[in-house]
Amino acid sequence: MATLAQQDHPKYPPGDLAIWIFILAELAVFAIFFASYAFTRMNHVELFNQFQQQLDRDAALINTLALITGSYFVVRAVAAIREGASQICLRWLLAALGMGCLFLVVKSAEYSHHFSAGINLSTNSFYMFYLSLTFFHFMHVIMGMVILAAVALKARRGGYSIEDHTGVETGAAYWHMVDLVWLILFPLVYVMH
Amino acid sequence: MDRESTFSLRRCTWIWLIIMALTLITYSINRLGLSGLEITLGILLLALIKGHLIGAYFMGLNPVQGFWRWPVTIWLLLLGLLITIAFVLAEG
Repeated sequence: MATLAQQDHPKYPPGDLAIWIFILAELAVFAIFFASYAFTRMNHVELFNQFQQQLDRDAALINTLALITGSYFVVRAVAAIREGASQICLRWLLAALGMGCLFLVVKSAEYSHHFSAGINLSTNSFYMFYLSLTFFHFMHVIMGMVILAAVALKARRGGYSIEDHTGVETGAAYWHMVDLVWLILFPLVYVMH
Repeated sequence: MDRESTFSLRRCTWIWLIIMALTLITYSINRLGLSGLEITLGILLLALIKGHLIGAYFMGLNPVQGFWRWPVTIWLLLLGLLITIAFVLAEG
């Protein structure tokens, strides 16, 4: 009974505890970035509102839906490996990677549009924050995809089982963090004015 | 697949759909040109709710007991508070 209760209410989150310490550090850094954006905006409200209107919200919406869906696919991958279904887990991980690729393609197209219009970090305070924040997050998406790809490779070789699937949960936790951060970044930078 | 897993997966599917719907609401508010401090803070609240759902259900923190249950929630609350203060002060 005690064992069952512990399984129902574990003391630690799923995955390796080290990734959670890393996630907390990442969240702290993003929080500083977000707060800096919001407090800098206080002194440049008109400028921030004006240039925010020039951003492609359709692209941002597609990217938000892609990351949320990617996170859901990772949830399915974890559920599959908890049942010992390695190949199904692999398929969900590949689907999540597909969502990650979609995000990178759409975001790259946005960057290409900005750079071809001569926009860079020095253009103004708004674009300095927009480019820095979104590129920092972009790098995290790539990092998350590398982790998911490594997990997928191991799943393909049958490296996870019902008893041992901490690696899948660890990769999943990082990917969800990338999604979580974007869920704040999207309204803050693209919508709130 | 046992009943507990099926239930948990079904719940996560609903959470996914709810987060997608809340995102479309955020996008629509912007497309309709609605603005003002209340609208802005409403959009922030929707984002914080979505973040909580990701942490609690997708990251699996909901059943966790003790310290590790709270960091994501505290992160969201602190961030929400800071952003709210900045936007309220910007209005004044």
